[in-house]
Amino acid sequence: MKARSILLHVGLTAGLLLSVFPFYWLLVMATRTTADIYSFPPKLWFGTKLGDNVSRVFENIDFFGAFWNTLFVATACAALVLFFDSLAGFTFAKFEFPGKKILFVLLLATMMAPAQLSLVPSFVIMAKLGWVGSFKALIIPGMANAFGIFWIRQYAQESVPSELLDAGRIDGCGFFRLYWNVALPILRPALSFLGAFTFIGAWNDYLWPLIILTDESKYTLQVALASLNGIYLSDYSMVIAGTLLAVIPLIVLFLFVSKQFISDIAAGAIKS
Amino acid sequence: MGKPMLNPEPARVPSSRRTEGGLAARIWKHRKEYLAISPFYILFAVFGLFPIAFSMYLSFQKWDGIGRMSYNGLNNYRFMLTDPEFWRAVGNTLLIWIYSTIPMLFLALVVAFLLHSSFVRMRTLYRVGYFLPNVTSLVAVAIVFGTIFSNNYGLLNYTLNLLGLNSIEWLNRTWGIQLAISVMVIWRWAGYNAIIYLAGLQSIPTVLYEAAKIDGASGVQAFFRITVPNLRPIILFTLITSTIGGMQVFTEPQVLVGNDGGAGGGGLTIVLYLYREAFVHNYFGYGAAVGWGMFILIALFSIVNWLFVQGRPSHDQGVK
Amino acid sequence: MVKFRRIGLPLLSLALVAAGCGGPAPAENTKTLTLWYWNRSLDDGLIQSVEQKFPGIKINAQKIGGDFKSKLKTTLAAGTDGPDIVAFNDWVSELFVSSDRFYDLYELGAKEIEPDFLDWKWNFGVTAEGTMIALPIDTGPTALFYRADLFAEAGLPSEPADVQRELGTWESYLQAGRQLQDHFGGKVKLLDNVKNIYTQFNAQSDRIYFSTDGEFIGDKPESSVKKAWDLAVQAARMKLAGNADAFTSEWNAAMNNGSIASFVGAVWMKEILEQGAPDTAGKWRVARAPGGDGNNGGSFLAIMKSSRYPKEAFDVIRYLQSPDNQIRTYKNINLFPSAAKALDDPILQEKEPFFGDQATGQIFAESARGVKPAYFGDKFTNVNGIALRELNSVALQGKDPDKAWRDALSRIRKELLR
Repeated sequence: MKARSILLHVGLTAGLLLSVFPFYWLLVMATRTTADIYSFPPKLWFGTKLGDNVSRVFENIDFFGAFWNTLFVATACAALVLFFDSLAGFTFAKFEFPGKKILFVLLLATMMAPAQLSLVPSFVIMAKLGWVGSFKALIIPGMANAFGIFWIRQYAQESVPSELLDAGRIDGCGFFRLYWNVALPILRPALSFLGAFTFIGAWNDYLWPLIILTDESKYTLQVALASLNGIYLSDYSMVIAGTLLAVIPLIVLFLFVSKQFISDIAAGAIKS
Repeated sequence: MGKPMLNPEPARVPSSRRTEGGLAARIWKHRKEYLAISPFYILFAVFGLFPIAFSMYLSFQKWDGIGRMSYNGLNNYRFMLTDPEFWRAVGNTLLIWIYSTIPMLFLALVVAFLLHSSFVRMRTLYRVGYFLPNVTSLVAVAIVFGTIFSNNYGLLNYTLNLLGLNSIEWLNRTWGIQLAISVMVIWRWAGYNAIIYLAGLQSIPTVLYEAAKIDGASGVQAFFRITVPNLRPIILFTLITSTIGGMQVFTEPQVLVGNDGGAGGGGLTIVLYLYREAFVHNYFGYGAAVGWGMFILIALFSIVNWLFVQGRPSHDQGVK
Repeated sequence: MVKFRRIGLPLLSLALVAAGCGGPAPAENTKTLTLWYWNRSLDDGLIQSVEQKFPGIKINAQKIGGDFKSKLKTTLAAGTDGPDIVAFNDWVSELFVSSDRFYDLYELGAKEIEPDFLDWKWNFGVTAEGTMIALPIDTGPTALFYRADLFAEAGLPSEPADVQRELGTWESYLQAGRQLQDHFGGKVKLLDNVKNIYTQFNAQSDRIYFSTDGEFIGDKPESSVKKAWDLAVQAARMKLAGNADAFTSEWNAAMNNGSIASFVGAVWMKEILEQGAPDTAGKWRVARAPGGDGNNGGSFLAIMKSSRYPKEAFDVIRYLQSPDNQIRTYKNINLFPSAAKALDDPILQEKEPFFGDQATGQIFAESARGVKPAYFGDKFTNVNGIALRELNSVALQGKDPDKAWRDALSRIRKELLR
């Protein structure tokens, strides 16, 4: 039993190292000069140039501007998705109204709709709306999504007691008050997952912002990072440092929410 | 739906004016509910349905995005079906999907098993560590892996040299590019799928295994007779999500080897091809046609997957 | 929960408001000109000086990162308000089909300054119908960059004049490569990649893919394309290339590590080389290119039809590209002048430490004077991309060159019918 346990941990640790190694490698490169990064054999341990590299990132791109843009877009996406999805999910879970079944099936069916089909037409629509180059194009189309509504509905069905809603009604709560004062607090765990999921997705989104954003002052981190990679290749250590800076905020966020987030993902997969 | 639904109708509403009116009246009565769910449907109509319908129209047009559209008949589709690069992109996408999905799901299963085993300590640490790649942006991943797979100064070549092997110009080889992309996909998603499998494993009642043990079944037998059948729906779920994800690989090759897909177009996936034709070469009508070609491929592929997983011999379940 | 409510609603409304807000409205009496350019396509200091030079004009200069061309085309497609002034790279001819979206600079007074510029460069911005959509910024005269130390060690000529004399033809250059690679036992390659041979050979030609009336001539004997192809294939067969593409970190690494001894490139490669290969400072020299003088790249400025102030915009671009300011730009960010007069400026005689105190400006100035006028056509980029992809398959995948050439031609013919 002991030997098996050791073997098991060796296997798991090896996997863990593979999983974490690219982060280590990113960190090492960010502390090195460009010539070090190109050197062969490679330098596998930390250097001393992290400060230099980071300060050159700040000189060359408006890192904080891109950071705030990304933070703004991701926060707005998450906030709006939380609001609209929870409102709709709660309604589907706890209220009866004509056509509900059909509407819900329709909602599920939209999840099958192919996203890549709409790349070109979506762009045309954005152009017609005058939203090209604007954050609206990144935020508004996704502010209510089928996955989130489905997720919240599943959760609300099981966790929001109908008795509580009845009690609320007797106290004179209207529809919106029932949602806001009674349901939302109970839905909080589901919301935290959906929020984190949406936030991470919006933070890392690349293709759509790449197409939509024209003005450098509105770039999100991923687009800024890609253009840094394209323009300043000769200063590779700076590109690497920029990559590191773009990755850190999400890792920090993830470490905060990781435990709940991971079990929610697993639960979501099992349920659906 | 396990629980009884709350029924807020007649009894609760004292007003008798609109109780049993026509459909319109009933709809009016529930206007708040409709309002609450309406944003999704409105958004989907504007940003989902309309683009799909529009892309159908666009796929029969010739349009550079700047000048006027002109009717192009089936020419876009004809061009697509006869363009060797389109088929290369399809082939590349399938290859990358195979190179990545099979090892990825296998590794995920192995990790899930190891984690599931009762004497693992620090399970949370492992779970977080394995999941971490999944929250990292693809652009960053592609940049880091670019330095690992580099032709001249790469870490991988250094490792090969340490083992006494010759360096390989990874990114100057079609298969090398595909391998690099696959490794990125595996790295990013193996942990995610492992977590899902782990949850699946944990939901299998231990009684089943105990019963099997009493019946004298070996560990391997228990695996194939209990674990696999019970995990099947979850495996199907991961297979379908990775199929949809795998058909849409874009960022990895675009950042790693550029819009042309690198040497021999090895990294030219369908979405990268679509992106290049529409947004770099400005054949917007053609891009829409490629989108439909891709949709059909994904649909076909998902059905094949589904049949494959469903179609496995079902007598295994007998052990239960 | 009450807390959540207090924070939640304002946050939400803030998000909604902020998502909807546009830029600040321009003041009434100053005229704001929006300028789109990419990093190092114009001198930032010079742009700032515009506001002093032209009181009442405000410059809103935006550096567009990423893929500049697709950003611009996307904006044109969107039909939304673009910038007033926009920079073009050497793909200027791709925009000829949309020439109605730009002001004809001749109508704004460009004729007056035409004599100041090199004619071949000037004509790149003029459509077949004779409208001028773009004013030259810089040029990209080409030359041979080479490592004098490695050439000398391998017994090749190492002084620029000798290199020009002895390696003046492509054939002699490739043969020298064999000698060099034999000497270093394969550790050093003659050149970076064979696609560049193809590109540079065509850059020296006045007939490439299209005749001036738009007919495809890439398969005709008067075109340079097949000769360029054969030469590139020959270089691939002789294994003279390090297979590193320009603008990649691989290329920088190979240059910095000294595993590539030379390449033919435009003058703007100086900057890329100096930054990418700092460890090789002092070892490089520049000589007139094998095969003759050519031009590769170089950018332009255009004025969009949507601009409310075309007159002012023209005054600004005229100022930015005056011979004196071109000299200033050359001094500051190394953009090579397109104004003929600027080529005689003493600044081009200055010694450059990275090139072992050689005054490379002279070499490039001579090259700039020797460039033949060429016509690119609006499909150049797509067509050239097809040829380069096939060539890459020959170089890296070992595809049969004849089959690759046939494939390239048939794909190009299809492309032209799209």
